[in-house]
Amino acid sequence: MNARNALALAVPDEDPDADQQEQYLTFRLGDESYALGLLSVKEIIEYGGVTQVPMMPGFVRGVINLRGRVVPVIDLAARLRSESAAVTRRTCIVIVEVENEGEAQDMGIIVDAVSQVVDIPPEAVEPGPSFGAKVRADFIAGMGKLDEGFVIMLDIDRVLSGEDMAAVNDMKAVA
Amino acid sequence: MNLEPALEAFFAEADELLTRMEESLLGLESAPDDSELINDIFRAAHTIKGTAGVFGFDDVVRFTHEVESVLDRVRDGEIAVTPDVIGLFLRNKDHIGALVRAVAEKTDIDDAQRADGETQLAELRVLLGKPAAVPAATGLVAADKPAVGASAPDMESGSGNWHLSLRFGTDVLRGGMDPLSFLRYLRTLGDIVHLTTVIEALPNWLKLDPESCYLGFEIDFRSDASKAEIEGVFEFVRDECVLHIVPPHAQVSEYISVIRALPEDVTMLGEMLVASGALTRAELERGLALQAGAASAAVEPTAEGEQPAAAVAPPPLGEILVETGAVSPGVVDAALTRQKQVKDAKAQEARSLRIDADKLDQLIELVGELVVASAGVQNVAQMLAQSQLTEASEVLSRLVEEVRDQALSLRMVQIGATFQRFQRVVRDVSRDLGKDIELQISGADTELDKTVVERIGDPLMHLVRNSMDHGIEPTEVRIAAGKSARAKVMLNAYHEAGSIVIDVADDGGGLNRAKILRKAIERGLVPEENQLSDREIDRLIFEPGFSTADAVSNLSGRGVGMDVVRRDIEALRGTVEIDTEPGKGTRIRIRLPLTLAIIDGFRVGIDKASFVLPVDMIVECVELAGATRDAARIRGYLDMRGEVLPLLWLRQVFDIHSDAPPRRENVVVVQFGQTKAGIVVDHLMGEHQTVIRPLGKLFSSLRGVSGSTILGSGEIALILDVAGLMKMAVSGTTVSQAELAGSAG
Repeated sequence: MNARNALALAVPDEDPDADQQEQYLTFRLGDESYALGLLSVKEIIEYGGVTQVPMMPGFVRGVINLRGRVVPVIDLAARLRSESAAVTRRTCIVIVEVENEGEAQDMGIIVDAVSQVVDIPPEAVEPGPSFGAKVRADFIAGMGKLDEGFVIMLDIDRVLSGEDMAAVNDMKAVA
Repeated sequence: MNLEPALEAFFAEADELLTRMEESLLGLESAPDDSELINDIFRAAHTIKGTAGVFGFDDVVRFTHEVESVLDRVRDGEIAVTPDVIGLFLRNKDHIGALVRAVAEKTDIDDAQRADGETQLAELRVLLGKPAAVPAATGLVAADKPAVGASAPDMESGSGNWHLSLRFGTDVLRGGMDPLSFLRYLRTLGDIVHLTTVIEALPNWLKLDPESCYLGFEIDFRSDASKAEIEGVFEFVRDECVLHIVPPHAQVSEYISVIRALPEDVTMLGEMLVASGALTRAELERGLALQAGAASAAVEPTAEGEQPAAAVAPPPLGEILVETGAVSPGVVDAALTRQKQVKDAKAQEARSLRIDADKLDQLIELVGELVVASAGVQNVAQMLAQSQLTEASEVLSRLVEEVRDQALSLRMVQIGATFQRFQRVVRDVSRDLGKDIELQISGADTELDKTVVERIGDPLMHLVRNSMDHGIEPTEVRIAAGKSARAKVMLNAYHEAGSIVIDVADDGGGLNRAKILRKAIERGLVPEENQLSDREIDRLIFEPGFSTADAVSNLSGRGVGMDVVRRDIEALRGTVEIDTEPGKGTRIRIRLPLTLAIIDGFRVGIDKASFVLPVDMIVECVELAGATRDAARIRGYLDMRGEVLPLLWLRQVFDIHSDAPPRRENVVVVQFGQTKAGIVVDHLMGEHQTVIRPLGKLFSSLRGVSGSTILGSGEIALILDVAGLMKMAVSGTTVSQAELAGSAG
């Protein structure tokens, strides 16, 4: 499955249609549903071939070879909720493009299962809870209202921001 | 019309020329009579002026022209080469550089620079014996007129003018050149007395291609410039145009020969020459009759058409000239020899090629992929164990290896150019400081990766300045200490065990350890009661916010130098060491990896994970088994033929857990600088070509791993950073301690 190709067919890169910006990829992590802006998703691949990198915090699962490029893979469950995801048959790596200090970088995130692509119009987006959610408040871009309930819409740039993660990394290294 | 490529070439060339100019100027300081050097400088200035003129960069032309005029006097021996003159030229060179840069960046030079430029112009004019107060705006005119006007009277006579026959090639416009700008520039050398536009080559309007140039010019030109100078005007289109220059007072036969060499109708050209007053009609007819006679003996020339007459095989012009007694055979021979020399020089020039760095990077990238793919093929071949396939894949991988080496060598550049820049720095700074310092350079031909060369400049600059400012004592102190008054700063580069070493050394006073320690305690960098070894004290100067200068100078002493140097060098996967002896001097040794792209790797395995070590750093491999293994486990070192070899268990360092303890272990003995150590791993998996892929920002704080590589099987292996591992080993085996040690020096 190649979401990027599908995207390229649907809409020219330089002028993303407003409709596209309202499209989200939903996926499951444990018992919770999350949504990710479709424009930042490059492709979805089967889980596998992850090379561990030593001395890194738990949420850095390692690196994979993505057609000749070395792409880091983040255990999203560990990053969001400090619980490691068990690998099942449906586990996927979603390759996303994140903006990091002005540089676009590809990263893989591990999810339990990819669900579907949905439209979430702006009026169906509620602000995230200021406390109480298991996920850090600044990682939440909003709560999307769907027929089957709320999905947590992630601010993926923030979640995968290298600076923040490096800071965590240092903390763990010293601790 | 897109001028960009031509412009870029100009900027790159100007840069090179200015560098060469500076080198020659500095050379001139020690050899003021070397005419070769003066010529070199003159040529550089002249070429810059010429090219800038073609592009219409008037500021550059105006300034460079003055410089060139003075240089010309120097060349003729009318102005003596004094240190002051050289100093002025050096400043001129900087100003030209600033002007060119301003053009390149499409900005204006700032007021301070402009004022500086005017001062320099005034100084140049004083040297020329002109009034210094020539208004800037009319500079161009004022600069040119005297040169021409002074000798104008005796040029008035009939054919006392140059005659230029110029035919532009059809592709001139496509090449980004505007014929008109050459003519415009020509006028800066003198006056165009008569100009006829030759439009014979214009095709039928229906066939006319608006992007092609069909024009030619017959020009009578009054100037006291030399032939080379006039030719220089057309340097940029020299290969694409037909240019004949007939000097003033030339033989009629010379005009005739030019006419014959041009594609247009002979009579028509003759008429033009008569019209322009270059020839009289009688002269023309006599010359033509002579040649026609000779030509009819050969093939009937087709007078019209695009083909140059030369292709129709008339007797060589030289022969005609000799037969008519116009020139002696010797002269023709000399001319031919000269022509050949010019050709040879051209061939020499063509041997080096300017390549876009991006293209080169793409090539290296592709070669990297090729290396990975070829490793994959070899893997499969080994698995299938089919002899023919194995053989074929062996041949392939050997070739790929060669391709890789060649491709990488394209990126290698000599460090000499970087070193050479420091001649000027040392010269200027030593003057500012009032110290007599000479720079000694050795190992300038040592090659290293272009990226490394580009990024090593700044750290070196800091180090050299520091040496001069802090390292070298004032002259009186030196003399009192019984040293030579002239101090030395040395830059040396050489290869050692897969890395390149750059030494920055001085014969100054060495580090003042007591002072350093006092300062460090004052600034809270070290606790007061700490007992530090000399080496540890020396390393303190690389700490952030450390400076021992009593007075802050504009060169160094703001305490931002040395820690930045260390960081820059570490970013290049390099290390920096310091070696100092009070009263004798200081040497700072930078050790850098040879290349940042591809290495010969040695693969080792722990459990299922594989790691790659640079082969250059491996001394040997030994098995760790039986009693030795047990002993080594307890002691933490190995007795290597009487040498103590500290061991590093990679499994522990990287915290790799496995269910079953390894049945066998091996020690890879690595050397980094003077230190040797053993890295304990499970398996040895042999040599592989390794394309280094950076791990990215996320892993920037990771120590002991310098990058990653993709194996033939598609798996990723991490490349071990031996230096980092050793640092960790020296300061304890956990990351946290290494971190702390790293920040404490």
